[in-house]
Amino acid sequence: MMDWAKESLAKVERTRADRMQQSFSKISDADGQALIRKFHPDFTGMTRTLNVGPNAGAEKFPNELADLLEADSPLPENFNPVTDVETDVLILGGGGAGVCTALGLEGSGLSVHLATKLRLGDANTVMAEGGIQAALGPDDSPRRHYADALVGGHGQNDPDLLRILCEQGPASIRWLNQLGALFDSNPDGTFRLRSGGGTSVARVLACRDYTGLEIMRVLKDAVLSGGTQILPNHSAVELLDDGQGRVTGAVLWHSDNGQLVTVSARAVVLATGGSGQLRLQGYPTSNHMGATGDGLVLAYRQACHLVHLESFQYHPSGTSFPEALVGQLVSESIRAVGAQLLNAAGERFINELTTRDVVASAIIREVAEDRGVQTPNGRHGVWLDTPMIETLKGEGTLARQFPGLIHRFERYGIDPAQQPILVYPTLHYQNGGVKIDAGGRTDRPGLWAAGEVTGGLHGTNRLMGNSLLDIIVFGRRAAESVRNGLPERGPVTLSQLKQFREARLAGAPGTLTSPQLYPAASGLKFEVSGKPAVGQPDSTTTARPTPPASEPPDPFAKR
Amino acid sequence: MSDTTNSPSSDTPTTVEIKIQGRTIQARAGETIINALWAAGLAEKIQTGCLGGVCGACTVTLRFPDDRPGGTDLACMRPVEDGMEIFPFPAEQIPPVPPVMNPDAGKLRTAFPTLDRCTKCDSCTIACPMSIPVMDSVLRMQKGELDAVAEDFTTCIHCGLCRVVCEDKVKPHNMGLWVRRSLGMTRETPALDQLLVTPADEQSDREWAYLLSADPAERLERARTFRDQGGPA
Repeated sequence: MMDWAKESLAKVERTRADRMQQSFSKISDADGQALIRKFHPDFTGMTRTLNVGPNAGAEKFPNELADLLEADSPLPENFNPVTDVETDVLILGGGGAGVCTALGLEGSGLSVHLATKLRLGDANTVMAEGGIQAALGPDDSPRRHYADALVGGHGQNDPDLLRILCEQGPASIRWLNQLGALFDSNPDGTFRLRSGGGTSVARVLACRDYTGLEIMRVLKDAVLSGGTQILPNHSAVELLDDGQGRVTGAVLWHSDNGQLVTVSARAVVLATGGSGQLRLQGYPTSNHMGATGDGLVLAYRQACHLVHLESFQYHPSGTSFPEALVGQLVSESIRAVGAQLLNAAGERFINELTTRDVVASAIIREVAEDRGVQTPNGRHGVWLDTPMIETLKGEGTLARQFPGLIHRFERYGIDPAQQPILVYPTLHYQNGGVKIDAGGRTDRPGLWAAGEVTGGLHGTNRLMGNSLLDIIVFGRRAAESVRNGLPERGPVTLSQLKQFREARLAGAPGTLTSPQLYPAASGLKFEVSGKPAVGQPDSTTTARPTPPASEPPDPFAKR
Repeated sequence: MSDTTNSPSSDTPTTVEIKIQGRTIQARAGETIINALWAAGLAEKIQTGCLGGVCGACTVTLRFPDDRPGGTDLACMRPVEDGMEIFPFPAEQIPPVPPVMNPDAGKLRTAFPTLDRCTKCDSCTIACPMSIPVMDSVLRMQKGELDAVAEDFTTCIHCGLCRVVCEDKVKPHNMGLWVRRSLGMTRETPALDQLLVTPADEQSDREWAYLLSADPAERLERARTFRDQGGPA
């Protein structure tokens, strides 16, 4: 299967016994910074400032994202929002953060609608592999967790948000436990904790390499038993405001029939996730299909500040071969249990448990300086020496602890227990996002945000295991904050959009529209159509979601 | 990085022919069904979610004109093969059954009355794209071996295929999740409980005061010191 690489693989085999005895010193902070500045994709200069909106003339944004933030709304100029659905709380996004917000609103007596572009749970949460951090160990504390995350985030983290995250770690694990999430445990019944890049003690809980799947399926099952009205295949395409700067609803696009649905809400919670599918600088991504930065666009048009969006996380170990798996994640935990990174000569080149930005930069350096491996498809990478785990931890360890890894590769005739796999950084996480306060409030009253769409918490580099914790802690906090400060219902207008459009004409005219909703590679286009008459109440666009379609035809039903 | 001119073996990707709902399209050997559909401008044919084999949106049935076995799979994970015929096979979610404390076979039967209708046809196991021994696990459910069941369903993505192929209305993956959640809720965590009732002490207040310095540069430096020394300098 990998004959084209057999010379390099032979070198990996030859050096293994010696390498397993050697430790690799940690890189100094100064050297790490230098490496990042020279090789990390954030520093290739493919960024620009904005001409429109609250961040205009200030921070730089990746070109691809800047274009979307300055693009026009897809709504016709004469679109007149008329309420189709009236609810108390509208949650936009059906991943972990949105569902945690919905669960946090159970029992509040409020009507809650959750709109999601794809199906409930089709989100980056379900794809998280390695784990979730919480300070549970004997030598650990929320302060140590905070110190690790702040150093990992280069001190750019919002300290108040970060303190909340770390202090809520143990309670969040308990909450998940009470919902029925099963984390891997030690023989004595305590949770098994692993290290991650940048953690100073073992702090990462996991469910094999399917931690996000475990959390998302439990959250999904729980929310489906509750009172939240789920609107699948409903993408948010614009936020509505009361004409005085308060967000009062949203316009959704129902992809099943192409119709627009106007929702009036007393609170809107943005939980739309990240933007890996923008595939910045042509990088592959580990993200799900819907990660196109929609929430950033919507919030920015409401004049919400965005923070740290110059910073994206490129996960060091994205798959580089086989071609069909390119960009897909190989869990950092594989390095945490001992797998080493090697260049084409079979040499180590970085301490594998350094933070992700430094490790990714080191891999890019190896390839840039011709020490990488090239695939028949012209991609590049370095080796992740997975077979050494079997030697270190005993035969069968990979299959037991990383069934996802084994399952994905075995289709392609590759057994990671027998041969190393080729990895290269993949666009993984949006470090920055919409600015929020400790209650998840954005700059605009009526608009809350939680999860990957927000920025500040992780600084300019997130540690492994802090995003799953983020969605639990801040999804629930947004719910609590909404409960405690729910505004009265206001009129639904497009005043804010009108202002944005005027500013746009002066600063950044162009015909591009956003949000994009789908990856460019998919060829899927979102077009506003199917609404019979703009501005007229549409009786066919009902206040209720379409009922779940029946099961596929059952050939045995008549028995 | 997608430059192919310098590739060591300069293999040009082989083209294969596949059919989606009867329509023939060209695809590159080795790419996934989803990628082939995207390249052909037919993305809307198959519902898609994570693109990583864990959300279960893109379930399909496959057929070949020759003797190659068809069956069910995930379109985002399955590589195309020449002659492959693909049909979307979405499995809608059904309402969940809430989990219970201290689960056993009896409670499982109450929650899922079709448990014992299994005729051991093994269709569920064959349909599972995650290689879970589904039918064996249903038999373990009947016997109340719930810890083993929880283990079996660790990698379940809830695509629903095992349920929609069952002619006897057994709902393996729903039962698997019910068992896992019920056991999870029941699991005792004394160490965590103890941690959560331990009140904040003076030391933690001191540590926070040290770490939350108002000056950003000092804040970072103190965090470094704290990491290295396990406490304030």
